[in-house]
Amino acid sequence: MNKNKEQLLNKRYKAEKRFRLYGKSAIFMALLFLTIFIFKIFSTGYSAFKKTWLIVPVTFDAELMMLEQNPSKEDMKDADYYDIALKSMADLDPNANEDQENELKRMVSYFFEREIKRELLKDPSLIGKTKDVYLTASDDLDQVFKGNYPRDLPEDQRRVTDYQLKIFDQLVEQGKVESKFNLSFFTYPDSREAELAGIASSFMGSIFSILVCLMIAFPVAVLAAIYLEEFAPKNRFTDFIEVNINNLAAVPSIVFGLLGLGILLAVFQLPRSTPLVGGITLSLMTLPTIIIACRASLKAVPPSIREAALAMGASKMQTTMHHTVPLSMPGTLSGTIIGLAQALGETAPLILIGMVAFVNTIPGSPLDPAASLPVQIYIWAESAERGFVEKVSACIMVLLGFLIIMNLFAQIIRHKFEKKWS
Amino acid sequence: MIKISSKNIDVFYGKKQALFNINLDIEENQVTALIGPSGCGKSTFLRCLNRMNDVIDICRVKGQIMINDFDINDKSCDVVRLREKIGMVFQKPNPFPKTIYENISYGPTIHGMAQSKNEMDEIVETSLKKAALWEEVQDRLHEPGTGLSGGQQQRLCIARAISVKPEVILMDEPCSALDPIATAQIEELIDELKKDHTIIIVTHSMAQAARVSQNTGFFHLGELIEHGSTDKIFKNPENKKTQDYITGRFG
Repeated sequence: MNKNKEQLLNKRYKAEKRFRLYGKSAIFMALLFLTIFIFKIFSTGYSAFKKTWLIVPVTFDAELMMLEQNPSKEDMKDADYYDIALKSMADLDPNANEDQENELKRMVSYFFEREIKRELLKDPSLIGKTKDVYLTASDDLDQVFKGNYPRDLPEDQRRVTDYQLKIFDQLVEQGKVESKFNLSFFTYPDSREAELAGIASSFMGSIFSILVCLMIAFPVAVLAAIYLEEFAPKNRFTDFIEVNINNLAAVPSIVFGLLGLGILLAVFQLPRSTPLVGGITLSLMTLPTIIIACRASLKAVPPSIREAALAMGASKMQTTMHHTVPLSMPGTLSGTIIGLAQALGETAPLILIGMVAFVNTIPGSPLDPAASLPVQIYIWAESAERGFVEKVSACIMVLLGFLIIMNLFAQIIRHKFEKKWS
Repeated sequence: MIKISSKNIDVFYGKKQALFNINLDIEENQVTALIGPSGCGKSTFLRCLNRMNDVIDICRVKGQIMINDFDINDKSCDVVRLREKIGMVFQKPNPFPKTIYENISYGPTIHGMAQSKNEMDEIVETSLKKAALWEEVQDRLHEPGTGLSGGQQQRLCIARAISVKPEVILMDEPCSALDPIATAQIEELIDELKKDHTIIIVTHSMAQAARVSQNTGFFHLGELIEHGSTDKIFKNPENKKTQDYITGRFG
């Protein structure tokens, strides 16, 4: 009898130990995957925050720029910079033949003459003088400098020629190559040239989409939730609505994209590729999430508070607006933010409504064409150039950072504004 | 003087009948205690008096409850006006998760009883004084009401109820969550409050009913078995069941 009891006790202890072990290993697995994922993203992405510059002496030859004597600022803006730009690159190797001059030109970014122009507009006294100008290196040389480029491939299999490498190595030796923080990644719109591509257009697109989404989804969802939870009679019909709302939360996002395409673009003729349409489409997705969060937090308000208000002679509406809704707000808001974070990471519906189009301007309003961060990731991941590989990871890092901030905010709201009741 | 007169009250929760043909008159400016074992319907009856049963979807109330010669179950009765006249204190202290001041000022605000900040301050002060809480909280009126002790919270709820100067105060086991000292304070308070208000109190404690009330009604299984002056009910009950209950033989 006694022995039997001891056995049972041992068994219980062992079972408990085993269970703890399972739990710990589950957490370990989850953390492991997360670490691998984050490590991969960071190790490929961090280099995108650096950009390689070639320091090239440029002679601002007024004649080549077709400038008159004492040019005005306007004249300088209209001047021709291509020739001096070309010349300064060609001058890197005085013995270069015509083909090699062409190769030299391709060592810097496609719009390198703009960088020269900017320099002159900053300091008009440069005319007739020579100055070392920072020129953005081409994306391939950028990768070479970062050590991401397979230099040992046979020449016909890579885009950087042996001649370009030779000149580049010389420049490196002379200290004429510099790596600096890549500000343009944040301030430039998308570009076909990897070295000039930035996330400004997609970032603004995401912000505008989320704002539109918030402005539509939040009021509608909160009103719907309050009505359903506090005012609607509980019957079969409201049960039916509830089931449908829960179903809506599980509908694949691409379906909402089709809806946006078929209704917002085809029927209502709203402008294609804009954050307005994207935001409306996303709001359809976010709506059920917010409704569910809001109803749950309304349910969590103790009935004693409602009774107290009603017994004081508050009407149903006063009870709801003065007591129940304010008390449910922390839960509602954090649910809203989580819904918005979901919407922020959504790609499929935005692709369908055309936010995948190549946009090389920064949108100034929700009515301008724009991409969004996840779609930008998709666009870059599709691109063949080596320079976009690190940009994809960097863009993911920005998106993740954004999401972490939003979720942190949701946590803070929940903790800070959650009132304790007896 | 009869303040509330109820005639033939039947209450149903869905198909289940909770109260059977209750006829009970409540005397003005006296304390009436409703006693009986759990689930006997005394709280249900109490909640009929300010129509709090309206909140429960499946609950139906039949019969006539006259307050000041006005049937509160009549269609023309506005529950908001009714509840302004008939305050309620609940079993568990349920202050709003707001400041002490806001707890008291809420009722007067929604009923438009104060024209200025000064008037409101005065209402808050008198209400808290009447609830014997002023001394303890006058320095922290703008701290949350939920930070008070259980007994203080219940007195805050009483102060909140009297802030709109109700004619009747319903109390649903107001001391069941409190310790004996807090209970004694509340009982003292009830005695004081009956000068200005008619009080109906549901209680599980026979001793409490005997201490605070002038009239007592005994409920059992949804029926009003006996009612009358507290003295008579406790010393000389007519019904066998009443006698069994107050002597502790069941319940």
